[in-house]
Amino acid sequence: MKKLESRHWAFLGLAVVVVATMLLNFEPKLDISPEAKRMHSFIDSLPAGSIVMVSFDHEASALPEIKPLALAFLRHAFSKGHRLVGIALMAEGTAVGYRLMDQAAAEYNKRYGVDYAFLGFQPQIIAAILSMGESIKQTFPRDYSGHEYDSLPMLREIRKLSDISAVVSIADGNLATHWIEYGRARFNVTVAAFVTAVMVTSYDPYVSSGQLRAMVGGLRGAAEYEKLIGIGGAGRRAMLAQAASHLYVLALILVGNVIYFASRARKGRG
Amino acid sequence: MDIGTIIAGLLTLAILSFLYRDNPVYKFAEYLLVGVSIGYALVIAWKSAMMDLLLTPLFGQGDWSLVLPLMLGLMMFGRFHAKTNFISRIPLAVLIGSGAGAAVPAMLGPRILTQVSGSVVPLVGNNGLPDWSGIVVLVGVLSTLAYFFFSREHRGPLGVASRIGTWFLMIFFGTTFGYTVMSRMSTFIGRAEFLLTDFLHLTR
Repeated sequence: MKKLESRHWAFLGLAVVVVATMLLNFEPKLDISPEAKRMHSFIDSLPAGSIVMVSFDHEASALPEIKPLALAFLRHAFSKGHRLVGIALMAEGTAVGYRLMDQAAAEYNKRYGVDYAFLGFQPQIIAAILSMGESIKQTFPRDYSGHEYDSLPMLREIRKLSDISAVVSIADGNLATHWIEYGRARFNVTVAAFVTAVMVTSYDPYVSSGQLRAMVGGLRGAAEYEKLIGIGGAGRRAMLAQAASHLYVLALILVGNVIYFASRARKGRG
Repeated sequence: MDIGTIIAGLLTLAILSFLYRDNPVYKFAEYLLVGVSIGYALVIAWKSAMMDLLLTPLFGQGDWSLVLPLMLGLMMFGRFHAKTNFISRIPLAVLIGSGAGAAVPAMLGPRILTQVSGSVVPLVGNNGLPDWSGIVVLVGVLSTLAYFFFSREHRGPLGVASRIGTWFLMIFFGTTFGYTVMSRMSTFIGRAEFLLTDFLHLTR
């Protein structure tokens, strides 16, 4: 059996911290950030019945962050009576998006084809966005389940991107920038995004310049959004574990530095 | 518990076993992930792009305008043989030409011009007091640009500005790294929640 090294102890410590805090089943106090409030107000400000395109632009590996974010948004949008058109610009987002939309729609008794639809995946992101600017029907002749585009009542009134009130990109990479650069700049469609935490700093400049109408990021953002719409979810449940794991990382950094400087001082004396 | 949850739980544990050391169980889970991801992407792309956009309209509905993209697509396969390699340059030229044509205005507008105009903000607020966030944006943009100005040696005022720019860059990198740690922790917490709740039923 291999001898345990320091990194093994660090991993083990993290696992203990996360599991212990999750077993506590306690939700800490949470302050809502201006970013989450901005997104919430934006979705609220759309008139009931607005058509919102949800683009699942992520891989399956981002699911722990993407699922709470997407569910919080979908629940809010359905509760406000918006009609949602789902698409995926990354292949792995297809099944995830379809399942999440179905799950949220079932909670609000929404009917497929009337209140929401899922068109599926198109490769070549830029070409797909430009093509939807001309005709969504030509880009997606059938939905994900194989129904003809015009056979779904809500899709009959949507011909191109300009018929959409807003596009919400749920992204774990830079795909939302394509929505800004091609969807917004060329077809004047409003773009908002729910993104993984790692992408927040990449999108912040677009929020500041007004090109991205609103952005919510990471598990923390999901927790804030869940609180804003008044429901429990994976985001809020994970906040204690998230805070504890960050404190644990800070402690490791401090201990590592103390050991480093102490050993350097000892060598200097020796 | 359904079979999907059992498989997902076992595969999650298999992937986490790498934290101890590389092992055959981890390798199996890793190869399975790569294989399933590629297989799924191929099937989805075949149905969404090849069938719905090309083959069904062309051969099912007689839309002969699609012969040209079909031919260009087939010419791509010329790359697989040295003697026919030159054929693939034609569809590549179309792809690069159209791609660059679409990308250049998109890059110039939203990525540069709008971002520049977005950073031009009033330095004095409506109440007559300095707007510190605007001042920080101005100093940050100018000093960071100074850091990337390599046509003159970084001495004197340019040296001071570039050193300030370095601080802004460091703050940006630190923030990005912090968010990256947060993201990775979230991924682990997500899997831990799945294991504890759905797989082991230890929490609700």
